[in-house]
Amino acid sequence: MNIIVLVKQVPNTTNIKLDPKTGNLIREGLESIMNPDDLHALEAAVKIKDKTGGKVMAVSMGPPQAVDVLTQAMGMGADKAFLLSDRAFSGADTWATSYTLSKGIEKIKDYDLIICGHQAIDGDTAQIGPQVADWLDIAQATYVNDIESVDENEIVVKRRLEHGFERLACKMPVLLTVISELNEPRYPHMEQLISACEQKAPIKVWNAADIGVKTIEVGLEGSNTHVIKTFTPNFKRQNELLEGSNKEVVSDLIDRLKKSDTTIAYRL
Amino acid sequence: MTIWIIEEKCDGCRRCIKACPYEGIKIKDGIASVTERCTSCGACIEACKKQNAIESDIEPRKIPDFSDRQGVWVFADQTDGKLARVCLELLGKAQDLAKDMGHKVSAVLLGKDVSHLIQTLHDHGAQNVYLVEDDLLKNFRTIAYTNVIEDLVLTYKPNILLMGATALGRDLAPRVSRRVGTGLTADCTQLAIDPDEKLMFQTRPAFGGNVMATIACKYASPQMATVRPGVMEAAPCKPENPTLIRHKISLKEQDIRTKILERVTQKKPGTDIIDANVIVAGGRGVNGEQGFAMLKELADILGGELACTRLIIEQGILPHDAQVGQTGKTIRPEIYIACGISGAVQHTAGMTGSRYIIAINNDPLAPIFKLANWGIVGDVHEIVPEFIKQLSCGGAS
Amino acid sequence: MTQPNKSRSGKIRSNAEDMVRFTMANFVDKEIIPVATEYDNKGEFPQHLFKKLGKMGVFGIRYPKKAGGSGGNTTLYCIAMQELARGLLSLAATTAMQCLMATNGLYLYGTKKMHEEFLYPALKGDKMGAFQLTEPNAGSDLSAVRTKAEKTRDGYVINGMKTWSTSGPKADFHTVLCQTDPSIGLRGLAFFLVPASTPGFSYSKPFDLLGTRTSAISEIYFKDCHVPVEYRLGKEGRGLGVLLKILSEIRIMTASLALGLHRAAMDDAIRYCKEREQFGKPISKYQLIQAKIANMAVNLEAGQLMVDKVTHMIDQGKECLNLASMAKYFTVESTCSACDEAMRIFGGYAYSMEYSVQRYYRDNRFLLSGGGTHEVLQTTIAREILSR
Repeated sequence: MNIIVLVKQVPNTTNIKLDPKTGNLIREGLESIMNPDDLHALEAAVKIKDKTGGKVMAVSMGPPQAVDVLTQAMGMGADKAFLLSDRAFSGADTWATSYTLSKGIEKIKDYDLIICGHQAIDGDTAQIGPQVADWLDIAQATYVNDIESVDENEIVVKRRLEHGFERLACKMPVLLTVISELNEPRYPHMEQLISACEQKAPIKVWNAADIGVKTIEVGLEGSNTHVIKTFTPNFKRQNELLEGSNKEVVSDLIDRLKKSDTTIAYRL
Repeated sequence: MTIWIIEEKCDGCRRCIKACPYEGIKIKDGIASVTERCTSCGACIEACKKQNAIESDIEPRKIPDFSDRQGVWVFADQTDGKLARVCLELLGKAQDLAKDMGHKVSAVLLGKDVSHLIQTLHDHGAQNVYLVEDDLLKNFRTIAYTNVIEDLVLTYKPNILLMGATALGRDLAPRVSRRVGTGLTADCTQLAIDPDEKLMFQTRPAFGGNVMATIACKYASPQMATVRPGVMEAAPCKPENPTLIRHKISLKEQDIRTKILERVTQKKPGTDIIDANVIVAGGRGVNGEQGFAMLKELADILGGELACTRLIIEQGILPHDAQVGQTGKTIRPEIYIACGISGAVQHTAGMTGSRYIIAINNDPLAPIFKLANWGIVGDVHEIVPEFIKQLSCGGAS
Repeated sequence: MTQPNKSRSGKIRSNAEDMVRFTMANFVDKEIIPVATEYDNKGEFPQHLFKKLGKMGVFGIRYPKKAGGSGGNTTLYCIAMQELARGLLSLAATTAMQCLMATNGLYLYGTKKMHEEFLYPALKGDKMGAFQLTEPNAGSDLSAVRTKAEKTRDGYVINGMKTWSTSGPKADFHTVLCQTDPSIGLRGLAFFLVPASTPGFSYSKPFDLLGTRTSAISEIYFKDCHVPVEYRLGKEGRGLGVLLKILSEIRIMTASLALGLHRAAMDDAIRYCKEREQFGKPISKYQLIQAKIANMAVNLEAGQLMVDKVTHMIDQGKECLNLASMAKYFTVESTCSACDEAMRIFGGYAYSMEYSVQRYYRDNRFLLSGGGTHEVLQTTIAREILSR
């Protein structure tokens, strides 16, 4: 079974720093890593390959230095890697990104299954998977937390939903987006990692012409949405002491939580 | 396509730097200079009208005429005949948006035997309800729902389409947006109509909430966004002439390509404190295992996890992976409730990144109050039970 | 991760040194650091982490692929050791031995059958190897080695003992320096492979140690241990030659362990001095603290340059034993002082077993004797220079 895994290089947002004066994000020196969910996608793909045979192919869109996540993917057991890299791809929204990726996948052609991480930590949009599936006109299963069985006709997966899960059978080819519950990703193996750095390693770099897209269809120009502005929200703490009887202070606190912009506000 | 600076004209005013969403321009030797992050979006050219020091060879993209696209649509997310609360919240926001645009609010309801929900949708602001019922729509399946919504959008041409960022919405919305050829902004926290161009400005967090970005979809229609539950407010209202539009579409089972084998309700397993949205943490001021049982109850009601200071680990009350601080974990939950924690740096080093910090402590001089958004001076063993009581009878819907 | 290499053909490739460092750093941050102090306080070896390193192919990092290795080199080996030592020095030292001293003789002189039985399982982490030189009266002076290997009809019989045997009670096989002919001193030395299952092999209770407390170090005893002739690793009398082949590598590996420990102490000190406030400001704002940080950073950078130079020379097949000795001497001395300074920055908290900085302070002593004592190194460095 041939499996394509979509991977993305992202800034490591877990140790993000803000400029104490301006409150702006400090991008300098931000370490780049493979998007965490994508590690689980790769692990799933390599596990399936170990059972069924075939190839795992990692695909990424990004600047030249994004080759590092492909090297890492090969260290984890991918057999081939493809970097879609072109100045023209920059500034893409999810529409243009999913289009570019799907054209790259069409050029690879020979696949049964596509696996990608549920979402990327720098954007959290969770859109690329379903959009790529629609460009390619194949079935999709999102929030996958278990792969029960897979053969050339059908895959059975579990999907994590808000209040439980769903077991879904999908006709192949299919695109899965997976969440971290699915598995524990392996670390790269030194032999595979070192081989992937060698000149003869099977990593291909494709530009816009290679995958047959026009520059007006991709990147910022091909995007439907555009960033108008970015700003840093004001997180200054008020240091307010709530006063009154126990009953009063607690109800005051709950009121404030209800009005806060947190995801639990509506449940209170 | 490139952007360049005419060095003689630039006076180093930095307006372009403020305007650039990508850090694609910076000041070098007192004048602006384009960096490799530049995506040629042209925002700086707009900002430099006074000096006209920035030029480019980009041809301005034509904005298509979308004046025939009318209406603000909300997708009515239902499972087993029960509406997700978020779609009522979206109907509330849709009323504001529709008013600012002079459009009408509609809801889109898909399923099997779901007509009992129509009235609820009308009552929350939906003037029109588009209803599509079919055996194949009984349970949500991506391709079936996408095909139906595509047909509705192409037939009735809405201007805006909103969906809840539920598991269902986040599965469906991207696929619909691709299908109908438009952009999509996920997990918006604010939606507003720009008075000049009548565009919907969609604001969402990026980089884990450290930066907010405002996004617009100028070149495609409809303008699509998803919104997290709890962010908007429902606003009951009785529209005039509520209308039901039944839409028919022929679906074929073999086109849908997925089959639901089973659906199971199950409590989510406990999460690592690093991933939890809400943390209830206890320290020296919490009375042993009993005290922590009480904190656990509060954490469960809030859908959060328990954490603690090092002392509690040493007393063997909680396992090692619950420790927050210099020698424990560093966490950034949305809400951090510090109970009986004084606020020494050994602990607070691991939690100052929290979005909201609530402190409960009987010592008014405890340093934790200097970090907290809201502080309550009092006995944890009285305040927390009161908190639990009010939360449980206040009634989660 | 940094700028990748771009070749003329337009192919883009990652830099192997960056990728190995990144991978090991990630492993250390996620798997080792969260549990390191706990294991050290318990004095328990993190066997599961050792197994994981085997699964990642770390133990074979400096061996070619056709020998079951990972196809790396000394530079990549030393980068991996730097990162591991940042997490837990005792685990790093055991790993370093597994990669080099415990397996190199076996790799060079072992038969195919021995490779299958010992080398490949060792490189996968299924077997643990150890390297045994020191005896009660023989350390820096190897001519005093008394463990005897006597030739018999079909092999050798080994009698004697070794002390300061790292992994003595745990290893599955030992590479042991023995004397085959006491009358000719150094020219009578040879290495032997002694599986722990050999009848007559035994070990003492592990020593109670000041530092690297997760390591099991003990005495080991050989009483009429019979080994076949092919278990002799290299010719009789070539023991010293076998050792000399990898001596530069042993020294620079030890220097790499020092760099890792140095970075750990510095990272912790930097984080702490920014968080700890006294007199209304973080202590990092005080100049005497800044001086300590500056010294740590400068010494670390200088040591890194020395180590990088030597590892690249080894990979190019250049002679560099004296430079390797200098690098070992310099990095270990500056690590000792960095750990001491870090203790001072932590103030009273450094004295608590809760923080890792006490472990760095104790562990750094391990590096003083391992890989050549500084008293001997200074002498050999000077002797070599003066003889030019």
